[in-house]
Amino acid sequence: MVLYDSATIGGSCSGSSSSSSSSKPPPLQQRQQTQQDIDGFLAGAGYRVRSSELRKVAQRLERLETAMVNSPADLSQLASDTIHYNPSDLASWVDSLLSELTQPPTCPSEFIMDPVSNQTVVSDAWTTAEPHMPQVHQNISYEQQSLNNQLTVVPAMEEDSGIRLVHMLMTCAECVQRGDFSLATSCLEDMQGLLTRVNTVCGIGKVAGHFIDALSRRIFQGIGGGSVNGGSAYENELLYHHFYEACPYLKFAHFTANQAILEAFDGHDCVHVVDFNLMHGLQWPALIQALALRPGGPPLLRLTGIGPPSPDGRDSLREIGLRLAELARSVNVRFAFRGVAASRLEDVKPWMLQVNPKESVAVNSIMQLHRLLGSDPNRNSPIETVLSWIRSLNPKIMTVVEQEANHNQPGFLDRFTEALHYYSTMFDSLDACTVQPNKALAEIYIQREIANVVSCEGSARVERHEPLSKWRTRLSGAGFRPLHLGSNAYKQASMLLTLFSAEGYSVEENDGCLTLGWHSRPLIAASAWQAVSDGTADFPA
Amino acid sequence: MVQNHRREDHETGGENKEKRPKFFINDHVNILIEILERLDGRSLCVAASVCRLWCTIASNDSLWENLCFRHVSPPPSSVRSVVLALGGYKRLYTGCVRPVRSRLGRVRRASWARDEVQLSLSLFCVDYYERLGGSNSNGRLVEKSSPSSLMFLCKPVNV
Repeated sequence: MVLYDSATIGGSCSGSSSSSSSSKPPPLQQRQQTQQDIDGFLAGAGYRVRSSELRKVAQRLERLETAMVNSPADLSQLASDTIHYNPSDLASWVDSLLSELTQPPTCPSEFIMDPVSNQTVVSDAWTTAEPHMPQVHQNISYEQQSLNNQLTVVPAMEEDSGIRLVHMLMTCAECVQRGDFSLATSCLEDMQGLLTRVNTVCGIGKVAGHFIDALSRRIFQGIGGGSVNGGSAYENELLYHHFYEACPYLKFAHFTANQAILEAFDGHDCVHVVDFNLMHGLQWPALIQALALRPGGPPLLRLTGIGPPSPDGRDSLREIGLRLAELARSVNVRFAFRGVAASRLEDVKPWMLQVNPKESVAVNSIMQLHRLLGSDPNRNSPIETVLSWIRSLNPKIMTVVEQEANHNQPGFLDRFTEALHYYSTMFDSLDACTVQPNKALAEIYIQREIANVVSCEGSARVERHEPLSKWRTRLSGAGFRPLHLGSNAYKQASMLLTLFSAEGYSVEENDGCLTLGWHSRPLIAASAWQAVSDGTADFPA
Repeated sequence: MVQNHRREDHETGGENKEKRPKFFINDHVNILIEILERLDGRSLCVAASVCRLWCTIASNDSLWENLCFRHVSPPPSSVRSVVLALGGYKRLYTGCVRPVRSRLGRVRRASWARDEVQLSLSLFCVDYYERLGGSNSNGRLVEKSSPSSLMFLCKPVNV
């Protein structure tokens, strides 16, 4: 007992400095030193606990209590086995009890404590237990019993555990903001332990799991965010596609923007659309079809799609362009496509878009402008650069769709809190959509956003969402005036939402802009803008 | 006695045969089409299983065109070429119009009929675009297994 290595403790006790490392101290001296550490009050009751470990022991006692409540069948076993434990050494006694209760003997411990797989204890026990020995059978059936008991008690304890998780997440985030990483790490361990008792398939458990991952990434891997942003373009497109399928946010964005562009192009025969993020081009078939059917016949449509350069020689932009061209040809719309490959939006220069002065231009940005908000003191603010060249194109309309959240605050804790609320709501809405058989990829898409907001800083953090009010100020200041999205857009959005089987979605009109939300919490906002003409409109040559 | 009866039956049967010509609906295809045009979607599909002639007639796209635009007054003229290019009216009805109509039936307002059709057309176009991707697949696995964006219309609504 005396052999606790004093160096492992957080250094809060001055008496336990590393005096015993080199030479063997006389026993009396050491006993005196350790007696200084031991808490006086508990010692009076017969328990030896180091003062520095008080907090940990208290937490473990709490855990033990929870475990005992959850599995009353185990208590009888505990009662007969006390011969192994020395209760006066409170810390190790509690530890051994805990390990007895929460760790079924046949399961490897990694599975229980693994937060990444997000599996509940139940499923792991079934899949990993291998009862090939007869004496183990009894243990297995015992496990089954205790786990069943755990299952039945879980719904009652679930809310408590969920609330505890949220509190612990906030505590951990606060530690991270303060820079107290050791406390944050122990918070993380506690949360990972608590996760095993919470249902991580849906609800707060799942969201908490993602945030715990993001926090541990921040603490252990730093804020460079290499693995978060390192996904290949192909992966990103796949995840985006599944996110498009699983929930209505992107569909809402596309349909609303298309309606606004369609109305702005009314009466024009030569139109040019600039898309800031082409992906699979899923937005444009509907616009092409609507233009084909508009009274007066279709215009000549040019589409310029901006996207990341594709590796290994494949020109994915061109492939999408060919697909769209084939669609346009089927419906008799004259169509021309141009792809601009750029890894960052601020690298695009207006001459690359080859805008013809006689045509009407529409600029379409679906969740792209917020990526420009990272400020680098060495360069000009990218958002201002991009907004100024957009303005120089004099577009008939600029459609902007952005997440309705405040994830660009300088303080980490504020950002973390806001993100927790926002993504909990988003996951709730995803859970309610029971249509999709496999929503996992859509969840990974959201998970990547969470990881970027929480665990990255500086130029690595690209998900800098800002709410509609801030965008209004910013765009008005850059020389744009708002265009009201009409009632047709609202009607279409409402109809689209009614088609989704989940009942909680709501479309709201916010001073000419439309927001889509879940149970009156807006999650995504669509708006339209036009450049304020100051009489000196100049087009790039 | 029995013989007399038989002779009478023959005579009366022969007279009946001359008086009432047998009527086979399959001999009068235009009447058949008129009737089938007025059926609803489900009945039309059932009718298509009756016999080969009915199947051929029921798969005629103009019948489904009627179904799609029955509630919209007057059907837009240029729509036909677009819809035929995107896959035909039968596909439009079964894939988009019917699920949209049944889903929106709960909260339907009278003025939405035309917008329903337009929304169905847009969704139909996106679906065609995704099918294009499948046929042009360069061996990339994602195209073949990519989920249709109309899948959210397929499952029934939990009311």
